[in-house]
Amino acid sequence: MARAGSGPPVYGMINEGCDMSRGNNVLSSLLWFVIAFLVIYPLSILIIESLKVSGTAASGIQNYLEFFQDTYYLKTFWNTLVLSTMVLLVATLFGIPLAYILARYRQRGKTIFTALILMPIVLPAYAGVFAFVIFFGKFGTMNLLLMDAGLIDKPLNFIYGLHGLVFIEALHMLPFIVLSLVAGLTSIDPSFEEAAEVEGASGFRRFITVTLPLCTPSYLAGAVMVFLWPFTDWLTPLILGQVDFLPSVAYINIAYHFTDQHRKYMGIVAVVVSSIICITLFLFARWWVEKRKYTGLSKGTTAEGRVIEPSSFVKTGSYLYMFFIAALVLLIPIVLGLSAFSRRWVFEPFPTYWTLDNFRVILMESPGLIKNSFVFSVIALIFGVIFGLPAAYIIVRTRTPGKDALDFMITLMLAFPGIAIGVSYLLAFWEGIPLATHWIIMPLALFSRRLPYFLRIAHASYLQLDVSLEEASEVSGVGKFRTFINISLPLLIKGVLVGVVMFFIMAFQEISTAIFLYRGGWETLPIGIYLNWHRGMEFGISAAMAFLMIVITFILLLIIAKIGGGILKAAWGPGEGR
Amino acid sequence: MAFIEIRNLFKRYKKVTAVNRIRLEVKKGELLTLLGPSGCGKTTTLRCIAGLEKPEEGDIIIDGKPMISGGFVPPSKRGIGMMFQNYAVWPHMKVYSNIVYGLRLQNISRQSIKEKAKDVLELVGLQGLDDRYPGQLSGGQQQRVALARALIRNPKVLLLDEPLSNLDAKLREKMRFEIKSLVKRMGITSVYVTHDQAEAMVISDRIVVMEKGNIVQIGSPREIYEKPASRFVADFIGAMNFIPGEVVSVLPGSDEVYVRTEFSDKLLCRSAGVDVTTPGQKVYASIRPEDVEVFSEPPAGENLFKGVIANKAYLGNFLFLFVNINGTTIRVQAPHQLPQEEGHEIVLSLNPQKCIVLPE
Repeated sequence: MARAGSGPPVYGMINEGCDMSRGNNVLSSLLWFVIAFLVIYPLSILIIESLKVSGTAASGIQNYLEFFQDTYYLKTFWNTLVLSTMVLLVATLFGIPLAYILARYRQRGKTIFTALILMPIVLPAYAGVFAFVIFFGKFGTMNLLLMDAGLIDKPLNFIYGLHGLVFIEALHMLPFIVLSLVAGLTSIDPSFEEAAEVEGASGFRRFITVTLPLCTPSYLAGAVMVFLWPFTDWLTPLILGQVDFLPSVAYINIAYHFTDQHRKYMGIVAVVVSSIICITLFLFARWWVEKRKYTGLSKGTTAEGRVIEPSSFVKTGSYLYMFFIAALVLLIPIVLGLSAFSRRWVFEPFPTYWTLDNFRVILMESPGLIKNSFVFSVIALIFGVIFGLPAAYIIVRTRTPGKDALDFMITLMLAFPGIAIGVSYLLAFWEGIPLATHWIIMPLALFSRRLPYFLRIAHASYLQLDVSLEEASEVSGVGKFRTFINISLPLLIKGVLVGVVMFFIMAFQEISTAIFLYRGGWETLPIGIYLNWHRGMEFGISAAMAFLMIVITFILLLIIAKIGGGILKAAWGPGEGR
Repeated sequence: MAFIEIRNLFKRYKKVTAVNRIRLEVKKGELLTLLGPSGCGKTTTLRCIAGLEKPEEGDIIIDGKPMISGGFVPPSKRGIGMMFQNYAVWPHMKVYSNIVYGLRLQNISRQSIKEKAKDVLELVGLQGLDDRYPGQLSGGQQQRVALARALIRNPKVLLLDEPLSNLDAKLREKMRFEIKSLVKRMGITSVYVTHDQAEAMVISDRIVVMEKGNIVQIGSPREIYEKPASRFVADFIGAMNFIPGEVVSVLPGSDEVYVRTEFSDKLLCRSAGVDVTTPGQKVYASIRPEDVEVFSEPPAGENLFKGVIANKAYLGNFLFLFVNINGTTIRVQAPHQLPQEEGHEIVLSLNPQKCIVLPE
């Protein structure tokens, strides 16, 4: 074959037998039907609704024109952009040294620090907000301690305002920056940096001129997810009393003013605008990352890249820094724990009255919440596996037409704000296809929202499975289906299990979509947390519920760690956004 | 009678043609090697025989049965054994389960499965290791597991896709002979893919040299080495001096040709079956370094030239010289008792029996 330009052919895409490719086509059509029904249809309804003009039967782009002329909506749009930029800047600033320490320094206790620093990735965002409100609030622990010590007279405003939002969201998204930078740092061929060293660029200069630029593709993959977060997260600003951000405005307009048609439409417009920004940026980042992948340039990278033995001065500094970040993260479970096991924790730096009352109330008054959470998540998970495994097979192992588009659609779901899915389901499955009147809508929504998580992991483990292992079975006289059962599945099972647990964690803590769809009796634990906070006075119960979620998440995480964390890294490695 | 027949096989990946309408016959019991640089189409051809790739055109006949024209026969129904480059030994199964995997699907009693496994384990020298997992075996042992698995069902055809390329050099040399004697003893028709010319020379009954999806020469190892059909083949297999020149005259009734080169008006060569008969045609007068003889004083004979030693390297069992004849550099492999040093003049004899012409 001509060698010019193109590499050797990629073997291992077997779809030779005619009946086999027909089977693949049928399977692929089924998957497309699910995507059409659960993704494309509701999202097109969302767009159609955003074009409706209130009080008339006409439709047009009036709502959009109004949105971009109205000073208030423009302000929220601008606020969101500013918040996104700040969050990304702060997360990057704190993330670079952290990633460098974790990727390059030989240090004791690195595993435990890594686990702690990456923890927010699996904690629900609202857990962090509640914890920081309790700790850094106006009469929170920090202010009270400072006043008791006589350092300040009046409470300082730590978190109410843009600075607090930036702090809380940046901490929540920090793992994305750290993970992607670590992936970049460890995949750089050490010889690139050694060459720079030989050329005379040492230390900081080398880091700035060679190391960091080589990391940009993988950094960008994480950065885009961070930047998009403020376009998705409506709850954090709301709890901190800040509503002038796109997702929060959309939530308030739609959830509280459902009868005011005009406000509802404007809310939908805000959702669509957020979604468009998310999708555009996400695609742009992907395109850019694809264009410049430096890591594939060289052969023989070592497994861990360069590892340096730091001087004791640097070592102490890096320990202190890691400790500082880890302490901030640890505040979340600790503060929520304290709050969960106490009552009437007001105007005291630490709780004084210890009780199990909160948990008693949860169990007495709302045992259904826990049950709902489990039932919905498990059903969503079953859908996820039934859909995800064949989808991974089609995408990785066949040449079925349209498989790239299928991969693309599912990956795109990563960028979609949860609020967009929730609102579109509400609009699409109310009349016509009245699914939203049945509780099955809850697991269905969780399924579409979290599907990419399972698929990416299944996909990654499928890619790691050498195709010749399957071919050897076929050559031994075993057909395709039995080969899948005998060879592929046992070898994939680790990855599938990690995907299953990860999917479950993400479905279990999901709120942005579910909040639009729940009806009396369908409340999940996250919705319970929100409602108890919203009613006021029941902060302890919210905290106890959040604490319960953290405990459940931790147990699931331990299971993942037992199965194998390497698969997660493979799934979220450089070049792939979350 | 051909046991495997490849007819007009054509396969491409998107716009890249991998195999360009090749024809090939493999005799029963023959060990045939597909040899060529990476990307020449040898592995694609092998995978088409296995049924792991479906060609765009052409047919493959195995033991009289068409694999494509009579409906595509999937790999599981072709009755082949195959060794993969990376062994493809299933890590989640013990050695025994790996080996008997395909047998278990046939209607064979447990007892005879056991016996067959015992025989084949003995054959490949893995006695007593049947209870291990592949992770507990060395690379060489895993490779033997792969061989045992390929052989246990008595396949009509054995396909080997660079099976030795992941082994270290010493083991590789040993395994070449082992595989060859095993396959020959069992009389299995085998197709072997490699890019290693030394491996191909050792193992093959016949070698098929491929380049850019085409077959450029088929022949025994000796034919390929001594009578290469083109500059590509001569260069790929062994080392060769290519001296550019043009045909002066062809001696009637023989295969002897006079060639004019930079340093000689009448270099005597043989045409070795290559069709170069017109005077004035551009050719390469080609001779292998080991066929060039070195003298201190000119002996009697033809094709003798004075040259200056430009470089001299000691390689243990011989000397390697770069000799400059009037601006043309000739590589020479000489016995190592040569007193002359670099810069000294010597006489080269380009043996007319070994000096062949190749088309440009």
